[in-house]
Amino acid sequence: MSSNKLITVIFLICLSAYVSCARKKSENTLSLGERVGQLTELSLRKPVIRLNGDKFRQYIGAKSLPRNYSFVVMLTALSPHRQCTVCRLAMEEYSIVANSWRYSPLFSNKLFFGMVDFDEGSDVFQLLGIGSAPVFLYFSEKGKLKSPEVMEIERKGYAAETIGKWVSELSQLPIRVIRPPNYSTTLAIMALMMIVASLLYIKRNNLDFLYNRNSWAMISLFIVFVMTSGQMWNHIRGPPLMTRNRQGTGMTYIHNSSGAQFVIETYIIILLNVAICAGMILLTEAMKGKADHRKRKISAMIGLGSTLIFFSLLLSIFRSKAHGYPYSFLFK
Amino acid sequence: MCQLVRSASIREPTTKNKSKSNDSHLFVRKSLLRFTILGLAWVIAFCSRLFAVIRFESIIHEFDPWFNYRATHYMVKHGFYNFLNWFDERAWYPLGRIVGGTVYPGLMITSGSIHYILQLLNISVHIRDVCVFLAPVFSGLTAIATYLLTKELWNEGAGLFAACFISIVPGYISRSVAGSYDNEGIAIFALMYTYYLWVKAVKTGTVFWATLCALSYFYMVSAWGGYVFIINLIPLHVFFLLLMGRYSTRIHIAYTVFFILGLLLSMQIPFVGFQPVRTSEHMASAGVFLLINAYAVLKYFQSVMTKQEFKYFFLTATVSVACVVFLGVVGLTYAGYIAPWSGRFYSLWDTGYARIHIPIIASVSEHQPTTWFSFFFDLHLLVPTFPIGLFYCIKQVNDERVFIALYAITASYFAGVMVRLMLTLAPVVCVLSAIAFSECFYFTLQSDDKPKGSKKSIQGGDDEDRSDQEESDDSSTEKKSSRNLYDKAGKIRKIKPDVNKDNQGIGSNIRAFVWFGLFAMLVLFVVHCTWVTANAYSSPSIVLSSYGSDGSRVILDDFREAYYWLSQNTDDNARVMSWWDYGYQIAGMANRTTLVDNNTWNNSHIALVGKAMASNESAAYSIMRSLDVDYVLVIFGGVIGYSGDDINKFLWMVRIAEGEHPKDIRESDYFTEKGEFRVDSGGSPTLLNCLMYKLSYYRFGDLQIDYRAPAGFDRTRNAEIGNKDIKLEHLEEAYTTEHWLVRIYRVKEPSNRPRIRYPDRKLKPKNIFSSKKTSRKRKGTIKDRPTVIKGKKNTAS
Repeated sequence: MSSNKLITVIFLICLSAYVSCARKKSENTLSLGERVGQLTELSLRKPVIRLNGDKFRQYIGAKSLPRNYSFVVMLTALSPHRQCTVCRLAMEEYSIVANSWRYSPLFSNKLFFGMVDFDEGSDVFQLLGIGSAPVFLYFSEKGKLKSPEVMEIERKGYAAETIGKWVSELSQLPIRVIRPPNYSTTLAIMALMMIVASLLYIKRNNLDFLYNRNSWAMISLFIVFVMTSGQMWNHIRGPPLMTRNRQGTGMTYIHNSSGAQFVIETYIIILLNVAICAGMILLTEAMKGKADHRKRKISAMIGLGSTLIFFSLLLSIFRSKAHGYPYSFLFK
Repeated sequence: MCQLVRSASIREPTTKNKSKSNDSHLFVRKSLLRFTILGLAWVIAFCSRLFAVIRFESIIHEFDPWFNYRATHYMVKHGFYNFLNWFDERAWYPLGRIVGGTVYPGLMITSGSIHYILQLLNISVHIRDVCVFLAPVFSGLTAIATYLLTKELWNEGAGLFAACFISIVPGYISRSVAGSYDNEGIAIFALMYTYYLWVKAVKTGTVFWATLCALSYFYMVSAWGGYVFIINLIPLHVFFLLLMGRYSTRIHIAYTVFFILGLLLSMQIPFVGFQPVRTSEHMASAGVFLLINAYAVLKYFQSVMTKQEFKYFFLTATVSVACVVFLGVVGLTYAGYIAPWSGRFYSLWDTGYARIHIPIIASVSEHQPTTWFSFFFDLHLLVPTFPIGLFYCIKQVNDERVFIALYAITASYFAGVMVRLMLTLAPVVCVLSAIAFSECFYFTLQSDDKPKGSKKSIQGGDDEDRSDQEESDDSSTEKKSSRNLYDKAGKIRKIKPDVNKDNQGIGSNIRAFVWFGLFAMLVLFVVHCTWVTANAYSSPSIVLSSYGSDGSRVILDDFREAYYWLSQNTDDNARVMSWWDYGYQIAGMANRTTLVDNNTWNNSHIALVGKAMASNESAAYSIMRSLDVDYVLVIFGGVIGYSGDDINKFLWMVRIAEGEHPKDIRESDYFTEKGEFRVDSGGSPTLLNCLMYKLSYYRFGDLQIDYRAPAGFDRTRNAEIGNKDIKLEHLEEAYTTEHWLVRIYRVKEPSNRPRIRYPDRKLKPKNIFSSKKTSRKRKGTIKDRPTVIKGKKNTAS
């Protein structure tokens, strides 16, 4: 989670005059039934209700207190000039939760989801004494305006599942987060299949390339190299490409400890593995080949050299990661 | 380094024996050589796994092996049928566990029968020693099975290389050192042997070999849950052969016999039961069975019908059968007869699945993805060289080489997803690397003047049109000639002057360079394997060792000390509560009833124990009373700096407890405001007062280990503990081991006369506190007694 990207909004202008004036406007309170009706209608139209200062006070403020619904509010700053990328990501997750609640079979008017944008309701931020975004607040049925439950996004993150779990724990309402299925991988696979199928169709008169063992061998070797260099680890853990070293003078390509790796490191490993493998194939072919003996000699020497040199390079990288490993070959 | 010497000596006879080789004695020499090398491979496989026994003693390691040992012991004592019906009331108190129906019994039966045979021969060996040395012995058998498989796939020279590789590769040693008495130890042998028999069955196409393959598969099913890998890989092989147009009656016979017998046999294992016909993991094999039979039927009809008829028949039959099968599978799944994929298998395909849905699977360190470092650590030289073998196998493909290629690709994928599956990758890596090295050495060591026969043998595989039977015959005769040349390792130097004259050759200098370079890499592999085995994989983990300042070795035997104390000083039916990691050990060594153990089948029970550990003392006491706990056992490493103790595992207890009791336990309560987990005075008060903290650090505040550090300094977490004044109300310390590693507490009985708080009382005396000082209501005094004032005479008298 990129908590460091949370923008901190500092209030420079005192808006007290504005706030007091706004407070007067909201005196014309609605009854509870009307309010619930309005909210249900709003949330049926749009699962996340946009609130401004007035609406916020009307539905959640002190005057609304004998109420029979709880309210989850997200305070955020979505307008582009605030440059809050986290807010946008969090908003997406939040609307997934709200949508899951809206379309769940247990949907009722006991719980509503709302959001306050900083540029629409900065008085709300001031009222609650909150200077940063995004913030998730939960106002229970009896909860006071001043002391809502705050979700700790620094620690928990803002994934839709965590938000859903947090809300359902507080509200005792079951919220099953259903993500809209991601079709991008399916589409990519479909596209790939289409390409393969069309290639086969175009070449239908000459399918010899399917029997080309070299290409099949290359495909299998590619899979094996990808897997043995820890690309699956990269895929699951998502490490950085590389990092700056401690002195800040240059980049570190090889992770210092044995339990982790950088993306670029795994590419280096793939290259070394391929070089060793190719060297040894070259060597074997030279040894058994029928060609001119001078050519064979040269390719045998190249093959042997690349095998040995790249293997000792691999070993020295390994040695730098395994502290206390005693063996090395050619290089330290 | 004794191992290094030995393994070097494997190749030593090669050089010595071959130089004198004589055509008439060739066969005898070859078999002698083969047996010597295989015998030495077995000896090395056995010896290099003995580090733990030599450094410590002949004991069972870690956690799961203790359960296997206990079950084996039970079986040997009470007989096989009682073992199958064993209901273990000493585990999962008060639930118990049906052991016979929830274990793979192959391991226990294997060691039990070895013990039985030894007893018949009047060799009295304790069952514990059989258990300790079972895995090393079986790894020798694995080496031979690998030899046989590689011999079928390539040639004998590669087979010998493969046997040597598998006997010392760390990826396999990690699960089969002496004392690690676990399913994997025998399962890899069963795996390789099944694959050998399968390849043999495919090559010969006889019912005999297919039946043997099914029997070996049965042994594998009885030994390890990893049999699912076989039952998916063999159908995949058949499927690919069909796709490649390599269908033959040999494959049809081999697969149908294997499938039917294997299915029936695998269902005989109580733990497996009806899974082979009901779960999706096994559906692929059934689907391929249908497919190959449909293919055979079509082949038959093709031979009796005209072309036009057949085309029509083919279309209708294919479409209708496909529809029926698809609808059938969907219908059965919907009706609940076929279970969908289990979570652990699903997480192999969708790699993000476990992280989101099953945290308990994601949390286990064995289920993490694999870094390149672990690949290199476990396989070393074989990682970059086994693709070469794969390359040659695909270049010179035949039916059985398709199999090894598929095995290599799938196993490398699985090993990338889960560290644990490195174990299934290691054998195939050895086979393919052996092919690569054998290929390279074969041409390096042959002399230049006789290049003819060798070339023919290698190109024999290229020739596709020949029938496979013929090819195998052909290659076997050629193999003999190739053996002849291959065996002449030492000849190079002697022939040197001749070779130099030969212009067609590559030159003996280069040959010597190549030979030397490859040999140097193999030597590095051997020393790496020895080093890894000695340093990483040979710790029993119930006996710890450390080095003193003068370099002497200190043995910390606290675990066994504590378990022995439990077995000698507590009631036979005493219930011991501990975190689940230690359940098997308590049951195995102390023979006491445990609440939870390493067979984590009941999450809510584990969560209850976690909740007790994470609550404050009085809340924990009510849980412990409801579970009839007599003793609580915690592992505390703060004195010696042992990092795997309960405080470091504590957050998992909290998380698991929170999953079941979200209202009572909250993970955030155990962190500081800044989200840190601290045990010093800055730590959260909930943590500093929970049961686990109190039990770990009771009396620790008074202990000063080092004069440079303050009293109560935790060496594991490098912090001075925050709560030094710990008072226990409902528990009392029963035993603490020498290095404080294990601490045992007794749960007190509720006091005879319970103290009830005033508001809870039914009978409420009006004034519970009556001061004796007020003169009026003082009991036993005489009213209107004249008061005596000191220093004054009583005027009234």
